[in-house]
Amino acid sequence: MGVYTLPRSQLHLFLAVLSKRSPVYVPVKRDAIRFEPYNGTIDFSDNAYFPIKEHFFRKRETILRFDGQKLITVRPTSSKKIFFGVRRCDLTALKHQDSIFQKQYKDPWYKAQRANTILIGYHCATPPNKYCFCDGMGLEEYQDLMFYEQKTQFLVEVTSVKGAALIKKYRRFFKKANKRITDADKHIKTRKLRKRDFNAIYDHHAWTAGVNKCLSCTACTAMCPTCYCYELHDELDTLKHGTRCRIWSSCQVKAFTRIAGNHVFREQREHRFKHRIYHQIQYFREQHGFDLCTGCGRCIAACPTRIDWVSIANKIT
Amino acid sequence: MTKLKVGFYGITGCAGCQLSVIFQEDDLLDLLELVEIRAWPFIKDVNDDETFDYVFMEGLVATNEDKERLLKIRKNTKILIALGACAHTGCVPAYRHFTLQKNYAHLLYEKNKNISDVQPSPIDSFVQVDYVIPGCPPSKQEIRTFLKTVVLGNIPKSYDNPVCTECKLHNNGCLLEVKKPCLGPITRGGCNAICINGGLECWGCRGPTDDANLPVMVTILRKQGHGLKFIKDRLVTFAGTKMPAVRKLVYDKNNKA
Repeated sequence: MGVYTLPRSQLHLFLAVLSKRSPVYVPVKRDAIRFEPYNGTIDFSDNAYFPIKEHFFRKRETILRFDGQKLITVRPTSSKKIFFGVRRCDLTALKHQDSIFQKQYKDPWYKAQRANTILIGYHCATPPNKYCFCDGMGLEEYQDLMFYEQKTQFLVEVTSVKGAALIKKYRRFFKKANKRITDADKHIKTRKLRKRDFNAIYDHHAWTAGVNKCLSCTACTAMCPTCYCYELHDELDTLKHGTRCRIWSSCQVKAFTRIAGNHVFREQREHRFKHRIYHQIQYFREQHGFDLCTGCGRCIAACPTRIDWVSIANKIT
Repeated sequence: MTKLKVGFYGITGCAGCQLSVIFQEDDLLDLLELVEIRAWPFIKDVNDDETFDYVFMEGLVATNEDKERLLKIRKNTKILIALGACAHTGCVPAYRHFTLQKNYAHLLYEKNKNISDVQPSPIDSFVQVDYVIPGCPPSKQEIRTFLKTVVLGNIPKSYDNPVCTECKLHNNGCLLEVKKPCLGPITRGGCNAICINGGLECWGCRGPTDDANLPVMVTILRKQGHGLKFIKDRLVTFAGTKMPAVRKLVYDKNNKA
């Protein structure tokens, strides 16, 4: 669909102009890197600490209100959003979330947030940190435009109709480039997770090193761009009025599998620890044919004890 | 429908937890209509302490008088709720469990010889506690939810996810990453990570989660460069009595508390 160039010096001007139309979320560094509306700064020093999933699968979503016997459905609201600087792992993760919330199930709240979204990717020339392991995790094209950073300019690859329309609208910033983006250009060289049948090594003693360091703090699932579990709560304002909310949930805590009679299926930390990993790289593949995990490494980077389960798994022979 | 007979009592404590009940502002009158307040010595003159369905007990046992009062109330109520950190964990007063007698003996009630001293302890050291509303002070929301739940005849749920779960929902960066000695990973949430939202690390006032990984928490704090004395103090300030493993840390041969 064509490749263009944008001089580095023009990036901020482009983003500023783009922001006039609708909020442009870019990675911004304060105490950590978050996707926030563009405000003059942008940070590509590391992958964002918080993934973009919270903008679609929101942390807290009001599903309905009740007033006495009456149920009032809360209509999802939608607004136009542009995301700039999303890395390939997060784009693929978004594709996986779309397949869950839009294909497997039709989730109106997710759909509303997801509609009217333009995704502008940022290609990692080198892995942003040592925890990345996206190489071989089946990254896919899911953006409208992809930015490749070079010394004096960005190469901008158009990958969708929406992206082409955007370029057309802001044509004055971009110059047509006589270049083709090859598969080699798209490749990111990182360490790899060894693919295998993980069921065969579920009981391997090597996992213990990870389990023992685990605090069950749920940072891994919250920071994961693909984890999509939630729980529903009824919250009473008064005895007659209240709301039903859905809130992110995590398989790392006992409450996740607590059922009537106070029975907990995954009582042991070991089972909860492995469940997250196995769901990402084994159970999901068994159900859907591809890995849920995209290798962004956030579960390791955000872990207070940096449990490197990829290294643990790779060392098991 | 007969109204639930409810009592609010305080033994040794700052009364802040009872204030959390009173400070329900908008909801207080609605709530009080739903239950019959049989006794609340803090705000009522006439108190009938014979039969209760639910008693909310604030404070910890620090004197013999407290203990007798607690035992009597336990006999007179169907359900006893530990309200707040003192009743739940012993909070700051129970620090005495973790220091040597010579450090505090000279401070004990010298001018009031009529007070008979008891090693300050949470109420579950003396009687059976049915529910806990933790926190120093407990969250108003949690008290409200508890009351509404029991009035509707449901069983109250306790929140035993760590503070981190809610902290992440509030978009906070991790304070452990900036070398603050945050106890969030081992502390029961339900507080909406209110301290961390304000930039202060978690001190663990709500007590440890039931599977708190204490050794790993200590390792993290050690790696941050904190000494054993600091770590011990931080761990036992609010909930030492609920973390028996801290004792080993405190009385370790390398540690001269």
